Amino acid sequence: MHRVPWIPIVIIAVMISMAVFAPQLAPYSPIDQTLRDKLLPPVWVDGGSMKYILGTDAFGRDILSRLIFGARVSLIVALLALTAGGGVGLTIGIVAGYFGGTVDNVLMRLVDAAFTFPAILFALLLAVTMGQGLTTLVIAISLLLWASFARIIRGEVLALKQRDFVALARVRGCSPARIMLTHILPNVLNTFMVLVTLNIGVVIIAEASLSFLGAGVPPPTPTWGLMISDGRGRIADAWWISVIPGIAITLLVLSVNLFGDWMRDRLDPRLRQL
Amino acid sequence: MGHRQAVMGWAFAMSIAAAAWSPLQAQTQKGTLIFAVESLAAQTMDPILEARPGNATYQAAMYDALIGFNIEKGGTGPGVAERWELSEDGLTWTFHIRPGQKFHNGDPLTAHDAQFSLRRQMAPNSLASAAASFRRTIKSIDVSDDLTFRVTTVTPQIGLPALLSRAVAAEGAIMPKAYIERVGEEEFRRKPVGSGPWRFTRSVPGDRIEFEAVAGPHWRGTPHFKELHILLVPEESTRVAMTRTGEAGIASIGPESMIGAARGGLEVLSVPGTMQALFQFWGSYLPAFKDSPVANPRVRRALSLAIDRQQIIDHVMNGKASMPYPFDAFGYTEYFDAAKWRKWSDDAFRYDPVLAKKILTEEGYPNGFELNFANTALPGTQFMVDIGTAVADMWTKIGVRVKLRHYEWGSFAPLVRGDQALLAGGASMYRTVGRPDMPWRFEASFAADSEQHLIGDKTICEAACQAFAAVYKDLLAERDPVKRTALTDRMVELVSETWTAVPIIEGMGYYAINARKAGKFTAIPGRHELGDVFERIPRPDEAPWKK
Amino acid sequence: MKRYIVHRLLQGVVLLCLVGTIVFFLGRLTGNPVDLMLPEDATPEDRVSMIKALGLDGPLYRQFFIFVGNALHGDLGMSIRMRQPATEAFFSRLPNTLAIIPWSILLAMGVGIPLGVIAALNRGNVLDRAAGTVAVLGVATPGFFLGILLIFVFSVELGWLPSGRMGGPEHYVLPVITLGAFLVAGFMRLVRSSMLEVMESEFVKLARIKGLSEWVVIWKHCLRNALIPVLTLWGVFVGNLITGAIITETVFAWPGVGRLTYEAVIFRDFPLLQAIIILKSILILSINLLVDILYAYVDPRIRLT
Repeated sequence: MHRVPWIPIVIIAVMISMAVFAPQLAPYSPIDQTLRDKLLPPVWVDGGSMKYILGTDAFGRDILSRLIFGARVSLIVALLALTAGGGVGLTIGIVAGYFGGTVDNVLMRLVDAAFTFPAILFALLLAVTMGQGLTTLVIAISLLLWASFARIIRGEVLALKQRDFVALARVRGCSPARIMLTHILPNVLNTFMVLVTLNIGVVIIAEASLSFLGAGVPPPTPTWGLMISDGRGRIADAWWISVIPGIAITLLVLSVNLFGDWMRDRLDPRLRQL
Repeated sequence: MGHRQAVMGWAFAMSIAAAAWSPLQAQTQKGTLIFAVESLAAQTMDPILEARPGNATYQAAMYDALIGFNIEKGGTGPGVAERWELSEDGLTWTFHIRPGQKFHNGDPLTAHDAQFSLRRQMAPNSLASAAASFRRTIKSIDVSDDLTFRVTTVTPQIGLPALLSRAVAAEGAIMPKAYIERVGEEEFRRKPVGSGPWRFTRSVPGDRIEFEAVAGPHWRGTPHFKELHILLVPEESTRVAMTRTGEAGIASIGPESMIGAARGGLEVLSVPGTMQALFQFWGSYLPAFKDSPVANPRVRRALSLAIDRQQIIDHVMNGKASMPYPFDAFGYTEYFDAAKWRKWSDDAFRYDPVLAKKILTEEGYPNGFELNFANTALPGTQFMVDIGTAVADMWTKIGVRVKLRHYEWGSFAPLVRGDQALLAGGASMYRTVGRPDMPWRFEASFAADSEQHLIGDKTICEAACQAFAAVYKDLLAERDPVKRTALTDRMVELVSETWTAVPIIEGMGYYAINARKAGKFTAIPGRHELGDVFERIPRPDEAPWKK
Repeated sequence: MKRYIVHRLLQGVVLLCLVGTIVFFLGRLTGNPVDLMLPEDATPEDRVSMIKALGLDGPLYRQFFIFVGNALHGDLGMSIRMRQPATEAFFSRLPNTLAIIPWSILLAMGVGIPLGVIAALNRGNVLDRAAGTVAVLGVATPGFFLGILLIFVFSVELGWLPSGRMGGPEHYVLPVITLGAFLVAGFMRLVRSSMLEVMESEFVKLARIKGLSEWVVIWKHCLRNALIPVLTLWGVFVGNLITGAIITETVFAWPGVGRLTYEAVIFRDFPLLQAIIILKSILILSINLLVDILYAYVDPRIRLT
């Protein structure tokens, strides 16, 4: 039981290395255009060459280089958004769950409000207000995440609160801040980590969806979502522009999800969430 | 073979008949023309609630405009009014209505309807974009007889007919006075009545608008199809797919879909001269930027020289675009010496990175400089983002450190107002839409009291700004065509020399056509929208339509 | 029970006020619809005139009070772009969206529940992981890309199905798959974890001890109980998808609420946006309340407090 999912781990490791060593790995700049070399197919297709292994896009930019740098942007977005959104959600979840009563009520109404706004819409609103950019995208996606984190963590905390060690700490006169930090936080970290892993995929897909709606990271910065979105009208004549990053996204999201499922099974099998 | 020839012969005869206004053409209208478009704008059938693009896309099918098109060259031509003239003092325009026109409910179309329509466009509840300007400039609208009416203005308005033509604006749409007065505004919006070659049947919000061809002959041309369905399909790749499968006959597309559409067996139609993509500098005259490179016209010119326009035309626009004329000028622009400026533009807008580099060095920027560049696309011209991206890359190659920022149009537009703090001292993408009358667009960009005020504002108006104001004032009142052309020349020269708003390419409108669903046709030069073309589109079994 | 419902309704009212206020001010931050309605050579004078004609003049707080006042009377204003009551616009599109959501959820259940059962019964082995992979595939491809690929393959290349748009049953296939694919993983995970939970519970152990066949235990005892939480998911999905189907509706030119919402944002149609969010919130609140009440009936162990 609980066999380690090696294939997903290897895929994730490859993608992370691509992101970290992008400048060393990429054969070309991801944004430099060579219009004369536009729409060249990958090496294994007729007309392709070793010069551009995965072909070029409509501006004659090297797909491979964009893919490698795109991994960097996509993973940075995921990292920042999960830290921000997850962090806020974790804090709110613990505070609401621990204090209960009015605090809980107010915070949970906020969470409810966040749920009635469709996440994509909120991100869209933000993008048209603040202008497109990495910061906007990260804030938008964090806003999309915090509420579900908060709700789930709160549920965990409610259960923890009934446990003896929390009551004991209270009797010993520990301050609420101390109890939350030293007794509750470590006990919800498992859940938190599982949530983070399972949400990496959500972030990456959200980034792609926002690119499609014209609210993602603006061109020419390469992200996988933007690459797919830019190439979507060319499936008939230059499929590689969108299909290659599409495969990359699918592989990565699949891998992090399988990895997350495994982690959840190991750490927190009772966790029921989406 | 014989049968096929017979069909061709018959179709040919039909098209001659149509051209000759013969009653023979009350022919067999059959089939449905399905057009997939990216936006139906407000999707209302009331002309006073819709802006120009929507009006020209779908309202045009059922409403006629007071002034029509010159179908061959683009620009204005006869419409509901067959001719019009200006009085000696330059203050009164007299319009002569084409006799024998009828609304879809059978009411005759008269000068009273024209007067009513114009007043309705000027009413306080009208969303017509020129409502306020009309209220200020139009003194009275008087009907002389059923087929003649006069518009008297406060100051000479040489361009009034152009403003009442669909070639330029939406305000010329003619609505039925008696009908609206009888049934009321609300009912009119539900069951609209116009006088165009297509009659309204139904509108499904967010989905489609359907029309039916009028049976009798129409001066704009009698529809070949029985029905016209305009479908809203926001996603471009879906529009292309639908045209390939035959679910639509015609789809509006962007340059990026052209190769795929052609490879998929579709015809690609491009409409020349619909827009100009430009880059322009904001607030470069302000004291705050006195020492900045963008305040220097030579530097601005160098940036233009660094752009390889042919590359953009060939690769970004897939060959379906052309070298631009000067700012807001097109081959069909009125009172404009196109041949002369063609030569000027080909030289001025050439690609010369060596000279560009040299100028930068001479002006003290051998290592380039930092430039804020706002990339944006106006509605309907999404490819502007690609052009902006390509331009930024070309500037980077001569050493300019381009700080590219991207704005969705709705968030870019507010930046233009007020002190333009976020734009001033930098450049942005912009565009002009193809229209035959030139001065208005110039005013909107360069007049000191305009929204954009690119060369000077109300407090700081130096040589170029003052000279522009003088030329513009003269142009408004000049009636003599030769002098008018000379003044236009002067205005174009003046603005071109500032290098504040510089054309990149002259763009086109693009359509993918399934030859099994619609016959061959050409569009009106400079008009992206097909609202005034639908009635001329032949069925696939008919001979091509020619002008 | 009654007290519970009253309490929930009160919470709902508070939520609506909160959401209404947020959407009002957030909307106004995004720009001005006039910029998108006027041509680029419009004069400042024409701009002012149009702002007045649309009732967008006057200070923000006053506009807010007018909005609140009208909303209390059930009037959510006129759509700026379509000059049509915003409520009417919402309800004219709602049926179109509701026409695909149930099918998508049914599809997701049809695939997700069996996968969940398979995964739970084979916990930790290859089949578990295979089921997980299949389920996750749906969330691992961006919806717009999946939709476009489906159109390309099944409509353009094979010619089997129309490229979307509303119409006969064949028009539903691709949009329903695109939307449904996204939900499979949710059902699969939920069924798997609740199956696992139920399988370890006392009464299933009891059933086993009683010597009931494994099939009876799984089907009668485990699955039936494991499916109860799926009910909750229905509520969540229906609510989210009403506006969450933006992408599917865009790709397939489906005139639903999602598309309407997107356009309201892009055209800065504030009244329409406000109306959509408020009406949708009311809808979600009612659905959730209904689901919770239903839940209490189906599963007597749960007491509403």
